[in-house]
Amino acid sequence: MESRVLKPILAIYVALFLLFLYGPFIVLGILSFQQGPEGGPQFPIVEWSTFWYQHILGLAPPSRVSPLPIGISLFRSMTLAFMTMVTSTVLGVMAAQAFRKNFRGKTTAFYLIVLGMIVPGVLVGLGSALVATTTGIERHWWSTAFATHVVYTLPFAFLVMLAIFNRFDSTVEEASWSLGVSPSRTFRKVTFPLIFPGVLSAMLFAFTLSYDEFSRTLFSSGREQTLPLAIYSTFSVEIHPNIFAFGVLTTLFSFALLTVYAVLMMLSVRRARRVAIQEAI
Amino acid sequence: MTLVTSTSAEVDVGAPASNERGSLSAYVLLAPAVIWMTLFLVVPMAMIIYVSFWTQTTFKIEPRLTLDSWQTFFSSDAYLSSLWTTLRIWLIVLVTTFVVGYPTAIYVGLFVRNKTLQTSLLVLCVIPFWTSFLIRVLAWRPMLGKEGAINIILMKAGIITQPIEALLFTDLSVVIGMTQIYVVFMVGPIAFMLGRIDPNILEAARDLGADFWRILRKIIFPLSLPGVVVGAIFVSVMVLGEFATSAALSGRKVNLLGNIIVTQVGSLKWALASVVGVILTAIMALVIAGLLRVVDLKKEL
Repeated sequence: MESRVLKPILAIYVALFLLFLYGPFIVLGILSFQQGPEGGPQFPIVEWSTFWYQHILGLAPPSRVSPLPIGISLFRSMTLAFMTMVTSTVLGVMAAQAFRKNFRGKTTAFYLIVLGMIVPGVLVGLGSALVATTTGIERHWWSTAFATHVVYTLPFAFLVMLAIFNRFDSTVEEASWSLGVSPSRTFRKVTFPLIFPGVLSAMLFAFTLSYDEFSRTLFSSGREQTLPLAIYSTFSVEIHPNIFAFGVLTTLFSFALLTVYAVLMMLSVRRARRVAIQEAI
Repeated sequence: MTLVTSTSAEVDVGAPASNERGSLSAYVLLAPAVIWMTLFLVVPMAMIIYVSFWTQTTFKIEPRLTLDSWQTFFSSDAYLSSLWTTLRIWLIVLVTTFVVGYPTAIYVGLFVRNKTLQTSLLVLCVIPFWTSFLIRVLAWRPMLGKEGAINIILMKAGIITQPIEALLFTDLSVVIGMTQIYVVFMVGPIAFMLGRIDPNILEAARDLGADFWRILRKIIFPLSLPGVVVGAIFVSVMVLGEFATSAALSGRKVNLLGNIIVTQVGSLKWALASVVGVILTAIMALVIAGLLRVVDLKKEL
């Protein structure tokens, strides 16, 4: 059979494909252990060292390489991502809840929200910068940039919640209402626990998208830099292996975040299963 | 969707009054999201179109309507050439992401029938997205540079004697970088569509004597077309709005429309930046409309 020939060939191809995806990371990881401060961002490795990691954490002795402005910009990015996460998840859940009913203008509203993830960041950033300059509003990461970030993450939260509500058995809500439980209490005690895995995914999406968002932030955040902007500002100058060490650290951080998400997800699934078993008994 | 509408319809039949109350509460729930998108997306986009007709003075823009900025754009060779560069890079990256991604999608979607393995392969493709986009772009510099990993490996293997300098700070490096970053958006939708193909159809075709290429052309590709279109839309939208990859990997030699916007905003030439923004929006709308004509996504998905 051909598939007997084809399958191994494709398997090798996929392995090469993954190498293509991961190659730069491997190189980045290796070069982050370059000797410092003289070692440059290229091969060969002069001597293995953790200098650039110390440099990032501010532990290295002062040298001609100025430290990345990470501390404060990291704080700004995390705060901004958190604000964006909460706002877009709340708005997304509300909008998806509204979409369970039929109403006029449903399609228009759908496209309006989804448009936020289609329009390129550079245009959204430009537009909000224009609005801000012409109306005299000052641009900050926590105001104008925050608004554009939610424009980007809200559609993701909305679509995730829409998918969750699609598979949602609304008879449990009806049972709760018919037992005289108020709608808001029903939402808190019945609906929300059931949609919680979706909410968690929406939060994860919103946080990571905002945390890494760059093109929207560039024009709309004013003078105080967020983390991606701090990295971008190193593009024009000479790069040093400290940016690679930083890349390794942020990847580890992302994995930590992903682990927290996976654990929370597992706990909520397990709890749902326990509740289901109790009900069965 | 059908489930939701049918249950709400049943409720509505019982109590016609609840329909109005129902849609009223829907509007209340929807209002914050719609207001947010209108204020921070629709208004800014309208502002770009409006400001592109404003008068630009040295540091300011005034709301006196003029076509000056449009004329500046279309009479400048530099700007026009960046328009062609954008279109060229977009088309090339569209082709490379498809060509590089399609075999992977075939393997993941058709040949791996084990769901767990399928999911893990897709997760493996997505993991790179957990590193900052900008650092992912920068990581190509030590790969492609004159003393980069690729040149070292090729020289050690004896394939070349001189390092290839054309790898970095050229069109090629921008295309390689963009392909690596965006190819997953092509693989995902295609693999999804391929995974839905009934294996019996392929079996039947094989039993009737069709070879793999014929099956690929007559069955697999047509059935995967909606995935290709969705992937192409993702890639197009992202590549057309790009400027960071070309800034990092072309050494300012490749100027996309996005780069023009960035430099114009940097020198406070808001009106010209807006003109470029409108042109970019128009191109994008045309591309999406064109791609949607290829297949009727609503019917296919």
